[in-house]
Amino acid sequence: MGRRIGADLLFGLTVLTLIGATALLAPVLAPYDPRAFSGQPLERPSRAHLLGTNDVGQDILSELVYGARVSLIVALGAATGTVVLGALIGGFAGYIGGWLDGLLMRLVDGMMSLPRLPLFILIAAFIGAGVPQTVAVISLLFWPTTARIVRAQVQSLRQRGYIRMARQFGGGHLYVLTRHILPQMAPLLISGVVNAAGWAVAMEAGLAFLGLGDPTAKSWGLMMRFALNLPGLLLTDRWLWWLLPPGLCVTLLVLALTFVGIGLERHFHPRLVRRGR
Amino acid sequence: MRARRRALSYLVTLWVVVTVNFFLPRLMPGDPLAALLDPQSSDYVFDPEVRAALAAYYGLDRPLLEQYGRYLWGIITGDLGRSIRLNLPVAQLIAGRLPWTLLLTGTALLLSSAVALAMGAESAWRRGSWTDRLLATGSLIVSNAPVYFVGTALIILFGAKLRWLPLAGGRTPFARYDSLLAAVLDIGRHLILPALTLTLSTLGAKFLLVRNSMVSVLGEDFMLVARAKGLPEGRLKWGHALRNALLPFVAHLAAHAGMTVTGALFIETLFNYPGMGRLIFESVGARDYPVIQGVFLVVSAVVLTANLLADLLNARLDPRVREA
Repeated sequence: MGRRIGADLLFGLTVLTLIGATALLAPVLAPYDPRAFSGQPLERPSRAHLLGTNDVGQDILSELVYGARVSLIVALGAATGTVVLGALIGGFAGYIGGWLDGLLMRLVDGMMSLPRLPLFILIAAFIGAGVPQTVAVISLLFWPTTARIVRAQVQSLRQRGYIRMARQFGGGHLYVLTRHILPQMAPLLISGVVNAAGWAVAMEAGLAFLGLGDPTAKSWGLMMRFALNLPGLLLTDRWLWWLLPPGLCVTLLVLALTFVGIGLERHFHPRLVRRGR
Repeated sequence: MRARRRALSYLVTLWVVVTVNFFLPRLMPGDPLAALLDPQSSDYVFDPEVRAALAAYYGLDRPLLEQYGRYLWGIITGDLGRSIRLNLPVAQLIAGRLPWTLLLTGTALLLSSAVALAMGAESAWRRGSWTDRLLATGSLIVSNAPVYFVGTALIILFGAKLRWLPLAGGRTPFARYDSLLAAVLDIGRHLILPALTLTLSTLGAKFLLVRNSMVSVLGEDFMLVARAKGLPEGRLKWGHALRNALLPFVAHLAAHAGMTVTGALFIETLFNYPGMGRLIFESVGARDYPVIQGVFLVVSAVVLTANLLADLLNARLDPRVREA
């Protein structure tokens, strides 16, 4: 059986590429500077403002285009942070073993039983919810999930014949880790990055929605917050071009990441999926 | 034995939560008072003498260990501090809001569990069919959409367009109820949309879990034996397959309870529902740290207790877990 790319993976990658391209080309694509007051407040969609303007007269389409940058930066940053921390700690614990491994895994258990979203809100309320803070807090709260998976994998790899052989022939720890263990971990780490990115996007949007967003970097979540702050928004049809587009964008991005995650899993471990049938 | 170990780890986690809550404001740059009164806010105290007096009032001039002891004692006796915004005891504020959140979360948890079990069993029974694929994809999409987005869609449809249900709130403002029935009906009407939103957004994960564990149960040998015995299809599906597929579902119920509570925090904000989530939202806007901390403590305690209960329930259902 050839390794064909599944429909879910294709859909996910396409949406990600589109959003990525939008973020990169934002200055070219956006008709206005998203911060400039380019029209009257609360204009309806017109040729000049395809999605109308917000309550202070900024072009909504431009905000939407630039919002892609915020969401993607948070997603990339938090996903990298989570996976790097998780891989380092989990890999170290699994490779070293012994009491240090036991201690680190107790820490992982403890952190995983903490209610993470309430904790996240509390921390964000204290240190503010700028983009760097959001990335740091997500990484610090979510590394244990990756650590646990990585540790299990490293532990099983360490017992394999060829790895023990490499050690017997005098291969150093660093050599074995980079040469034999890391390449085996790649699929796992890639899925980890994708999953963490999905959480990060949803978290950032959720925090912004609760009023804990970074006011200097207007994300899609924050756009929704501002739209909902307008009294009676839902009673007119204004939500159609102000609330719906950012909501759809967040949904699409999270969905694309989920599909890529599922698709990759299927791509890397076809047997795992077939067993479930 | 196992129950005792679970209870112990529950208490340890609770203690960690309580301690994090104590140290977080004290780890902030500047003194703890800076966290109490935001330097950027208009009511920030510049006068050093007043600040010292305030610090003494809050006991912040004592040694750290003594502060910690007083804080722990306060929690045990139900004292969570005072709201800066409303100048009311935090415990009293929360007591007024907690029942609403529990009502919303409980309804959604029951509803989504029931629907997920029925749908998941049906979907697995006809795995590979169009119904199965449609349900799986649909639940994936709905559960990935942000809860507040799903909620907005429902408000627009049922509240603003069709005008069947109230747009927001937990009950009709200033309403006086003639009878208990009228009160229940009014509160129920306001509950429908938020509970439906929460149900929809937490349904997907549960559905997929039930479906997948049901699929693997269907491949077991005992299912073949049961079928060979000539049992009717209904008995096979609900009595044999679902009964066994129930175990992983209950094991994950704890995680789902946590997700439901956090989902409720967003939904209450959207629907102006008078629960804890709405309280967080109002307090975040006013930088009312004692309230945010109090809500964090109570929500964490609720989530952890739900975890413990689900764990004990799981041990009750599955003798294998009990022995382990």
